[in-house]
Amino acid sequence: MFSALDKKLFRDLGRMKMQAIAIGLVIAVGVVVLVMMDGLFNSLSQTKTTYYDRYRLAEVYAPAVRAPKHLLENLANVPGVDSVIGRIRGGGLVNLPQEDVPITAAIVSLPDHGAVRLNDIYLAEGKQIERGREDQILLLRSFAKAHGLQPGDRISATINGAKRKLEIAGLAQSPEFLLSMAPGDLAPDDKRYAVIWMSETSLGAAFDLKGAFSEALFSLTRDAKLPEVLDRVDQILANYGGTGAYGLEDQTSNRFLTEEIKGLATQSKILPPIFLAIAAFLLNIVISRMIQSEREQIGLLKAFGYSSMEVSAHYFKFVLAIAIGGALVGCLIGVWVGRSYADLFQQYYKFPFLVFRVDPQAFIIGILVSVFTASAGALFVLRKVFALTPAVAMRPPAPADYSRAGGFMAAVKRIFDQPTRMVLRRIARHPGRAFGAALGVGAGMGLSAASIGLMMTFTNVVDQTFDYVDRSDMTVVFAALRSTDTLNELRSLEGVTHVEPFRAVPVILRNGLHSHKGAVTGLLANPQQYRAVDKDLNPITLREDGIIIAKPLAKKLAISPGQKLFIEVQDGERPTLQMPVVGVAETLSGAPAYLEIGALNRALKQPNQISGAYLQIDEKLQAPLYEALKAMPVIAGASLKSKSREAFETLMDQSAGSMRYVMSFIAAIITFGIVYNSARIAFAERSRDLASLRVIGFTKGETAFVLLGELAIMVIMAVPIGIAFGLGLNAAIVEGFSTDLYQIPNQIQPEAFGTAGIAVLVSSVFSGWMVKRNMDGLDLVSALKTRE
Amino acid sequence: MGIHMHQMTGDTAFRTRGLTKVYGSGAAAVHALRGVDIDIPKGEMVVLLGPSGSGKSTLLNILGGLDDATDGTAQFFDHDLTAMRERELTLYRREHVGFVFQFYNLMPSLTAKENVELVTEIADDPMDAAEALARVGLKERINHFPAQLSGGEQQRVAIARAVAKQPTVMFCDEPTGALDSATGRSVLNVLQSVNQDLGTTVMIVTHAAATAAMADRVIHFADGGVREVIRNTTKLTADEIEW
Repeated sequence: MFSALDKKLFRDLGRMKMQAIAIGLVIAVGVVVLVMMDGLFNSLSQTKTTYYDRYRLAEVYAPAVRAPKHLLENLANVPGVDSVIGRIRGGGLVNLPQEDVPITAAIVSLPDHGAVRLNDIYLAEGKQIERGREDQILLLRSFAKAHGLQPGDRISATINGAKRKLEIAGLAQSPEFLLSMAPGDLAPDDKRYAVIWMSETSLGAAFDLKGAFSEALFSLTRDAKLPEVLDRVDQILANYGGTGAYGLEDQTSNRFLTEEIKGLATQSKILPPIFLAIAAFLLNIVISRMIQSEREQIGLLKAFGYSSMEVSAHYFKFVLAIAIGGALVGCLIGVWVGRSYADLFQQYYKFPFLVFRVDPQAFIIGILVSVFTASAGALFVLRKVFALTPAVAMRPPAPADYSRAGGFMAAVKRIFDQPTRMVLRRIARHPGRAFGAALGVGAGMGLSAASIGLMMTFTNVVDQTFDYVDRSDMTVVFAALRSTDTLNELRSLEGVTHVEPFRAVPVILRNGLHSHKGAVTGLLANPQQYRAVDKDLNPITLREDGIIIAKPLAKKLAISPGQKLFIEVQDGERPTLQMPVVGVAETLSGAPAYLEIGALNRALKQPNQISGAYLQIDEKLQAPLYEALKAMPVIAGASLKSKSREAFETLMDQSAGSMRYVMSFIAAIITFGIVYNSARIAFAERSRDLASLRVIGFTKGETAFVLLGELAIMVIMAVPIGIAFGLGLNAAIVEGFSTDLYQIPNQIQPEAFGTAGIAVLVSSVFSGWMVKRNMDGLDLVSALKTRE
Repeated sequence: MGIHMHQMTGDTAFRTRGLTKVYGSGAAAVHALRGVDIDIPKGEMVVLLGPSGSGKSTLLNILGGLDDATDGTAQFFDHDLTAMRERELTLYRREHVGFVFQFYNLMPSLTAKENVELVTEIADDPMDAAEALARVGLKERINHFPAQLSGGEQQRVAIARAVAKQPTVMFCDEPTGALDSATGRSVLNVLQSVNQDLGTTVMIVTHAAATAAMADRVIHFADGGVREVIRNTTKLTADEIEW
């Protein structure tokens, strides 16, 4: 059975249900974000780990040009290596009739017979390659789906310069190719990157690698030391065109996935505390107001012999009910939203299965943190319960003393009319409360501004990248290094209006203990197509005597202009160069380093070598041009800027990028919640005063002004707070989310604040309107009868 | 100090000596009680009369354990109320005191029965809430909320609430102040029967001088002190008094 006090609790909750729900929802939102993020984080991590384990994803990758198979024995003997396999991996082009440009493909060998010991595949549809069928392949399922290809279909591909007709035996998935990016692209795109598995015999013949391999895959023992393994493997493969072994952490697909999971972890740390703090604040004002209006009842309970503890416990239960209710709802919704999101992620990352798992700890933390913050909000107020002696509580409260709000009010008196003075005096009387509410609204506005700002920043960044950095229409990558003569070949193609070369060299950049595995891109000193730009978007002239590095790279390597950088080239004769950093460039994606192409080639002692070119083309002639490019065997891949831009925008809208929509929605709820709650409380506190005003002859409008004027001033005070909070939050998000894969510049636009400000204004007007409706319905007589 | 006051000895429910209460200090000090000495035998019905600000409500608050004294002593049987700390006063109120207020002070969110249960739940030897309500003639209205009851009914719920714990003493601050004469009479009737049937000491603060006719003892207050104590040799019933 419930005690009479508990029944009072239930009825109070019922009476204040709108406010209780509003606060409960804010708490719920905090817990939703916490549980959802945690669920996503755990699920993705677990699914990733399980997927990697089940399909035995290799931990080390060592590409080479041509390594004889007997080397595998040496490689297997490297301390720390558990097992090793050699496979053939090469590039190719898929020519689909409906696609303008050839599509880049990775072609990977599967053993002719026996199990795939490392980097196994999951056959989703169709069947395995039949023994002896050299024209049969398995195709990456996501690519096939994106183009409507099915087992049994035939496609045309260019492998090592030769055109082949291939039959799709089955569609496969692999943890190695969860996210794949074509060279020259900015974002993973299912449509633009194919993976083809072929039998080893067939691929060995195509690449002339019979009895040899071009990539070694390793699994490691538990006590293996990765850097030592990489060093040893590099030594062994050095004479066979090894371009540098790398660990799983540098594997493209894995890096994207890891960064995404890291991003989720960051968000789950930034967002929930904000919501919970706001909920604590709201609870504080609501409970405070409730205790104020129930001083008589509190006095009465004490007069009956209830102790301060028991009375406090009663109000505390009220807080707990809201906090736990909100937290439980949050947990449920969190699991549901997390699940739906996880399903989306499953599709996005093409996991063949999903291990959805919310750590029970997340629930416990969610509930505990909600209860804790709500209690913190309420405890301040509950002190008042202890302080009330029964006799004092039984007397109606003395009229609030406005005399001490005096001071500057003397001047106010001469300037403003009576209602305005009432508004100002009330604020001057409770500056803490007014400031608190302004702080809350400001927090909501800041959150909106930061998330709107983030959206605009993304759009801006995309524009900047494509308008200032990469201004070409198309990037072509050659199958192998070519001489600069190839540029002339390209220029001679009809439809090509401008050609600029680039050379990309795999390197390890080192500054003391800091290192980065990446590439140095050689460009013309003053290129027109693809440029390095400074933070004001002005092109940077590339130099022969020093290297320009991207901002995230400078950060990662802890280096600034003027300092020397070691460049260990992972190609050709593998020289180590030493060069000063002469500039820092802004980038959106990746961590490039630039050098003047001539200087790069001289340093490598490989004059006039290029790895690809940026093209500008005449739109009217693009169809025949694409046909011509498809026919050129030297081209291993081509990417169209318009497509890669599309893919990038999709990336930003999907997966983690889409979180910002959720954030804006939540921000809107919070802003409205606070403004509405403040207005309701102000109305409840003052309904008697307002009724008195009506009775002595104030009009509805004049009475509304007294109440809503206060709200208006609070909202105005909230604006600068919102701006400050938005700037801070934006900086935190930028700091937390930027990785060396993607950079989010800290360039929040004034428009973001404008939009957020308008959102605050709209929710204020709406709240004001709802309260005004209540006010117009005020029953004058009963309002005056109520003893406060 | 143990606060088991079940073993109350003596026939004097309250004895005050030099009881003083000052609100505020310095120039703003208000002397609500200026050294009050009274003795109230147990089982009596006592009416306190006097103009506003004469100190009668302050005395009631101190004897009821709602407020503390500035100086002097107030004894409840052989327990010194002025020496008790908050915790002990809470227990004192819980076990021995019933309150009835001018404005009823019911919890608006609880029904009549639940309002009574609010008290019976924490009392040692309460009567049944329904029985207490029946005693004040509200048997039919026990599941009504305060807003559904008239003023007189609300006050009777308040009395039932005070009676239900079977208190040693009952303090009534202007119990009929907000009621018309017929309703007021029925409320006084209930109080009288509580005093007679249960032997509860009842102290009533009132402006209504006529009420004095039904008391055993009438204490006149003026200016923070006792002006006069009158013992009625013949008491009238609530129905007999003139309003």
